[in-house]
Amino acid sequence: MPRSVTVLQLGDILFRPSRVFARLAESEPDPTRVFFGLTFWLILLPPLFTYFGTSSHGWLLGVEPIILPDEIVVAVSIGYFVLLMFGFVTTALVSAWMARTYNAEDSLGMSFALVSIVGAPLAVGSIVHLYPHAFANVIVLVPILIWTVYLLYRGLPVMLRTGPERGMLMASALVGYLLVAWVSLIGITVVLWGLGLGPDMGI
Amino acid sequence: MPAAAEPVRAYDDRIVRAFTVAAVVWAVLGMAAGVWVAAELVWPTLDFGLPQLSFGRLRTVHTNVVLFGFGVSALIGTGLYSVQRTSHVSLYLPKLAWFVFYAWQLAIMLGAISLMAGWNGGKEYAELEWPFDIAIAVVWVAFAVVFFGTLARRKVNPIYISNWFYGALIIVVAMLHIVNNLAMPATLGKAYSLYPGAQDAIVQWWYGHNAVGFLLTGGFLGMVYYFLPKQAGRPIWSYRLSIIAFWAFVYTYIWAGPHHLHYNAVPEWVQSLGMVMSLILLAPSWATLVNGVMTVSSAPQKLKTDPGLKFIVLALAFYGLATFEGPMMAIRSVNIMSHFTEWTIGHVHSGALGWNALITFGTFYFLVPRLAGRKLHSERLATVHFWLALAGVMLYVLAMWGAGITQSLLWLTLDDFGEVRYGFIEVMAALNPYYLLRLVAGLIFLAGAVLMAANFWLTLRGASTERAYPPAPIAEVIA
Amino acid sequence: MSFVGLHKKLERNSGLLIFGILVVASIGGLVQIIPSLFQESLRTPVEGLEPYSPLELVGRDIYIRESCSTCHSQQIRPLLAEVERYGTFSRAGEFVYDRPFLWGSKRTGPDLQRVGGRYTDAWHRTHLIDPRSVVPESIMPGYPWLAGRDADDGSIERRLRALRALGHPYSDDEIEGAARTLDGLTELDAVIAYLQSLGTAAPGEAGP
Repeated sequence: MPRSVTVLQLGDILFRPSRVFARLAESEPDPTRVFFGLTFWLILLPPLFTYFGTSSHGWLLGVEPIILPDEIVVAVSIGYFVLLMFGFVTTALVSAWMARTYNAEDSLGMSFALVSIVGAPLAVGSIVHLYPHAFANVIVLVPILIWTVYLLYRGLPVMLRTGPERGMLMASALVGYLLVAWVSLIGITVVLWGLGLGPDMGI
Repeated sequence: MPAAAEPVRAYDDRIVRAFTVAAVVWAVLGMAAGVWVAAELVWPTLDFGLPQLSFGRLRTVHTNVVLFGFGVSALIGTGLYSVQRTSHVSLYLPKLAWFVFYAWQLAIMLGAISLMAGWNGGKEYAELEWPFDIAIAVVWVAFAVVFFGTLARRKVNPIYISNWFYGALIIVVAMLHIVNNLAMPATLGKAYSLYPGAQDAIVQWWYGHNAVGFLLTGGFLGMVYYFLPKQAGRPIWSYRLSIIAFWAFVYTYIWAGPHHLHYNAVPEWVQSLGMVMSLILLAPSWATLVNGVMTVSSAPQKLKTDPGLKFIVLALAFYGLATFEGPMMAIRSVNIMSHFTEWTIGHVHSGALGWNALITFGTFYFLVPRLAGRKLHSERLATVHFWLALAGVMLYVLAMWGAGITQSLLWLTLDDFGEVRYGFIEVMAALNPYYLLRLVAGLIFLAGAVLMAANFWLTLRGASTERAYPPAPIAEVIA
Repeated sequence: MSFVGLHKKLERNSGLLIFGILVVASIGGLVQIIPSLFQESLRTPVEGLEPYSPLELVGRDIYIRESCSTCHSQQIRPLLAEVERYGTFSRAGEFVYDRPFLWGSKRTGPDLQRVGGRYTDAWHRTHLIDPRSVVPESIMPGYPWLAGRDADDGSIERRLRALRALGHPYSDDEIEGAARTLDGLTELDAVIAYLQSLGTAAPGEAGP
């Protein structure tokens, strides 16, 4: 039985996810292989696209473009990568932790695989960062995000072997965690801006 | 099953059915008004030059119909259903309960017309003018009499926790409504607030925040505490936790109002107090969330997948979001960036749609088949509704988060000379795409609600309300 | 008795439960509201602040009728960027004759706390009838009906009396002569008069 899912299967992941869910449910994915075979490459995409997009276009919030010096663009891209990495690991850990309450498969490898597969469309969709217009990104990524949530509801019961009802409960709990994590990120960001780590604001 | 000796009255469920139907009708109408005003923000001439359809007046119709038409009807209906069943008696003064039903629907209908006509008290969620304020108070007292009267006649001695929350809803909303609406009438359609200026602001947001707290949070928690264990087939996970959470909730929520007034012209001690208590509020809010989640997650394996359960469980996730985001936005350094922006609107709707609407829909999917004595007409339609609702809320909230951050960032950014960098109009124009996205989100959510209404109509049509009876008197098991 | 035991008493007595909820829920409001009712800084008008004239009052009541607060705030926060954009920040003493307060909770449109004197009457006239004729990107609705309605709907005396009962210093002469001051004027004139009065009794420039 394969011990991993890799970026070579990206086609199946994006277009035939049910097949990937079923196949992985039968196996025992190894967290390290999943991480280096798939996750790392997916997480690399958004920061790379951000770097190239921001360097050539600046940031567009709907008014005139905000041109940032190169050091800042590099710093932001690296920061983005670190943040995604942190987000991935914590989400996988939270999933493994929750699994015990829902009598689900709590292996780290399975959690890594689930979060990576479910997040793959977002990683690929982040190609829109090549044109860093705020609204364009919203209109591309939000529908993909909705699809991601749908994939979570479909994939979790299969991969974590919970059965449909428990799977639905656990998926909702994970969505709850993600919502809170996301809004915390927004809160922390604005507080940092207020402390001066960001645009120059008159407050 | 009817009791043995004396004839026992069946539960008064026809009135529950009436309130449920009314709630669904107001939900569709109120959300349609919301969609219309969302469209007006993109195409401002959609009022066709008519004062009655003007954005300001129509937005007020939207908030009043969804809160007091949809929200309150849902709460009264489910409250009367659950108080009977937890007390094992039918309603006290059922005719008075019918008066509450008809009077409330009439008040909402006439109230909406009055708002379109321009009667407006000028304070948010308290816009209905003084004749309506008095009428509402009278009807509310009648509801209190029916609810507490039923409770007083209960055959089960301990008062179950859902009734504490519904009871708190009734008592606290009465207090808030009366105190905030005190005014000196000048004409039939105009009264002036008893409180002036800054004092009015403090009273208004004591009211406004606690309307959210006790109507939108407390009352619906009452709904959860009854319907969730019923659907999960398990008792509430921790009785002790529910006691602490309830009293901490009732005490703390009241203080949170001034977080609506950060950096406004009210004393700083009031602002700080509001902020601190809002942060403390996170604990009792989440204690209830934990209770709900643990109750449902420990459900037996043979859990029947009720279409409603998906809604309830997702609603709990959004409850977690909204009750986390609220205290976070109450922090002054976050509030600097959120106040006056679309972020606040996003927060309101993550709560109103993600929590309130979803939990009500879930409860109704459970309740309506039982009231009709039939299976739900189409479970597939309910599943489609679920995904539409999820998509609609997510799109709405993310659009508003994006718009809000853009707004405050651009408003507050200075240029190299220390002057404000962007003109107000520039910033406003940048929001247009977000307003369009929010309109789409609202349409998606409304479409789901319309499917639900159709599903319920097809389920209830031709079915008379199922008769259910209180069980035979039980021996007092609890010491 | 343990707290659970104490609570069992409450759970078995609906009267006690009601009373308990009422007491516990009253505390926060009493602490936050009562002192504010006596705090001098919230009750003392800033120097030069007058109660609204009859025409301005009619205008204000129309502002409320059309729910202008839904999109326009009247509260400048003590933040550098806001003070630069709108003028000196708002003080409590500027609002003592505002019933109800109209600070607003949303800025779809700009803050209006110090809009008085910023634009000419003619500008307001055109803008209120059709905002897009002066600001093409505006999403504000138009209010053409204001121009066709009389400012005096017969109720101005009753309104002034109600406000006087609440403590606004209107004299008998002012009240009896009020209707005459509205002669020949429209709702549009009233709203413009109100807008032009906003923020004009600003406290001395204390700086941002």
